[in-house]
Amino acid sequence: MSRLIPGLEASPNTIMKSQHKLNSQESEQESAVLREISKETPMEFATPEELLRHDALHTPVPPAIAHRLGESVGPIAAPRRPWWRRWLGH
Amino acid sequence: MSEPLAEREQSTEPGMTLASTEFGDIYQEHSRAIYYLALRFLGDPDKAEDATHDVFLKAFRKRDQFRGDSSWRTWLYRIAINHCRNLQQTWHERHMLSNADDAVWENTAARGDSPLRVLETKELGQRIQKSLDGLPAEYRLLLLLVADEHLSYEQVATLTDQTADAVRGKLHRARKAFAALFEKTSGDVPAHTRSGSVS
Repeated sequence: MSRLIPGLEASPNTIMKSQHKLNSQESEQESAVLREISKETPMEFATPEELLRHDALHTPVPPAIAHRLGESVGPIAAPRRPWWRRWLGH
Repeated sequence: MSEPLAEREQSTEPGMTLASTEFGDIYQEHSRAIYYLALRFLGDPDKAEDATHDVFLKAFRKRDQFRGDSSWRTWLYRIAINHCRNLQQTWHERHMLSNADDAVWENTAARGDSPLRVLETKELGQRIQKSLDGLPAEYRLLLLLVADEHLSYEQVATLTDQTADAVRGKLHRARKAFAALFEKTSGDVPAHTRSGSVS
């Protein structure tokens, strides 16, 4: 009764591997379907401003700007040495 | 945050990073808005990066001139608008009136009140940039400023040197023009990713 297909012994490992493969295939198909659905589902924006707001939220600021700015700002506002440092020659 | 920065921040010590300063807080809060304006107004990421850096550097140097009668956001926008306009100024823009462009949109199907439908987000930025590039600079700036929820129509009016009513009127035309251009850009997208018709 355990032989489902003549000539093919269905060991527990074989069954598990088949099941795993089936699950993977199913989840792959599911992902593909979800991708297609998300492609076909349009986003709607009532006004151009809403569209721009969405775009702005998904537009990151290049981190290089902060680095450059830090270097530019640093030398401008360097503090004077305190009197005791000047006195001690530091 | 209306207190002049110079009174709160005595100095930045050598080696101190931007993030550890109060000006760094201002950068953190407003950099996205300024960068986005520069990016979409100038249409070039490299120019936008330089412009954003220059705007905040200018703001830092002139921070003692900030009297707190406007918000930091509007003050930074003022600097950014002037900076970007100077970068874009050509003989044509200095001498040709923008009103002549209005006639182009009058014959366009009235889609100013229709929702904008987007199917693929992958090329959305390109479509938006292309649409903005097709607008007169005045309309482009208006849409970008109004898109910032932190700005009221009155603040937008002040930044663009006109009345709030004028802003509302031009905004209607700017929306219509943008929608027409945006719809055209959908033709540039491959067929399998094209969105449905704009209602």
